[in-house]
Parts: sequence; structure tokens; C-alpha cells
Amino acid sequence: LALLARQGLTVSGVAGHFSISRPAVSRHLRILAESGLVVVRRQGRQRYCEARLERLDEVSHWVERYRKIWEKRLDRLDEYLIELQEKEEKHGKE
Amino acid sequence: MAKNSLTGERGKQDISITRIFDAPRELVWRAWTEPEHLMRWWGPKGFTTPFCEINLRVGGRYLNCMRSPQGQDYWSTGTYLEIVPLERIVCTDSFADAQGNVVPATYYGMEADIPLQMLVTVTFEDLQGKTRMTLEHAGLPAGPTSEGASAGWNESFDKLAESL
Repeated sequence: LALLARQGLTVSGVAGHFSISRPAVSRHLRILAESGLVVVRRQGRQRYCEARLERLDEVSHWVERYRKIWEKRLDRLDEYLIELQEKEEKHGKE
Repeated sequence: MAKNSLTGERGKQDISITRIFDAPRELVWRAWTEPEHLMRWWGPKGFTTPFCEINLRVGGRYLNCMRSPQGQDYWSTGTYLEIVPLERIVCTDSFADAQGNVVPATYYGMEADIPLQMLVTVTFEDLQGKTRMTLEHAGLPAGPTSEGASAGWNESFDKLAESL
């Protein structure tokens, strides 16, 4: 994907960069195409692959949303744990 | 080689947060596993948690309700896959309806790309009276149809739960 992010390549062009077999490269490309991260276009006899990185941003969108939720949640947990210990301390003294 | 770079890209989609709490590990564990405690902090600021049920055993489920300041309820559920007392909790996390049925995020008007099931791993380490907690949150891959995927994952998790 990082390779395709720089420039569009043919399937053989992609395969040339990896030590794995061409069918294996095709398989990886198919998975990327299914997830919408790569678009494969036929031009004559060649198949050109291009990265669609904006899809990756979409994927990260929910991740960022959850990161914020967890950060806020854990802030509250932090406060609650302090509160809880203060209470327990008071009870201990009484 | 290509496979490594692929997992690298996917790794970016996971969340990992580490916090050190000024509280003993046993208390942090209880805050995560006992409803009366969890209800006090689960909702982010402004939110409340009016309902929380925890069946803390491998294969057991939880059901939480988070209420927004506007009064909108968000239910979530999941299954415990691994429980190591005071050390580690692994569970799934999904949106749910009030009956505990898994629903997609779109049920609550949220992005369709939020995975139907997510995996949450929480680990607790004792730091001489303080606690280091690490939270990992990752999306689980969906199959061709989300409903089929959900059934599939549930089945495999049930099996995993049985084998543990």
C-alpha cells in the first residue's frame, strides 16, 4: 500500500517489488481492492493499481472517535478512584 | 514482507492507551468489574450509566446503558473471552438494543464504518501501590454480510469460551 501510495503501478510492477509469488501479490491486491483501499483499472492488457488512501482516513475516523471516548472515560475513572480512596480513608478514621 | 507491511497498516487502526492510576490494583479491578463502581465512571463527563449488568465469567456477557446529557440511551454489550483476576480482561464490545441484541452503530445514527464487534483488552499491573492499566481496542473484521459475520464471530467466541 505504501508502494502504491507514491505512484500507480501495474500488477507485475507491484509483484517486482516483493519476493513473494505473483499469485500471492494478486491475492493481497484483491483483499485491498475488496476493502476499497486499492482500485484496479484495466488499460489494454495491463491492470493498473492505485491506492485510495482517503478510505484509510475513513477507517481511522471511528478509531479517533473511540480514542476520545476512552480518554474521557479513563479521566473519569481516575477521578472516581481518588474519590473512592478518600471516602475509604474517612471511613477508616471514623 | 508484503504481509508485514499489511499488518502494519492494520495496526494503525487499533487503539492502545496506557494510564497509571494512583490506586491499588485490587481497587482498579473492582472499578472495572463491579457494576456499582462501573456505573460511576463508565460514561464520559456529562453522561450517566443508568444500567449495568456484568456476568464476570468466560463466556458471560455484560450489558451497559450510557445516557447522554440530552437523554439519549446508548446500550452496549459483549462477551468475556478471557478473565485473569486482577490482571487481564478480554471481551468483545458491540452496540446493542435495550434487550442486549447486537446492533450496528447506524442504529444510533453513527458511522457505518464502526465495526459490528470490537475487541477490548484491559491489563492491570501492580506498581507498588499504583496501577498501570493498558487498554487496547480493535475492530474485528466483518464478513461479507454483517449479520453473517456477527453470527460467525459469536459462534467462534462461544467455542473459544468453551475451550478456555
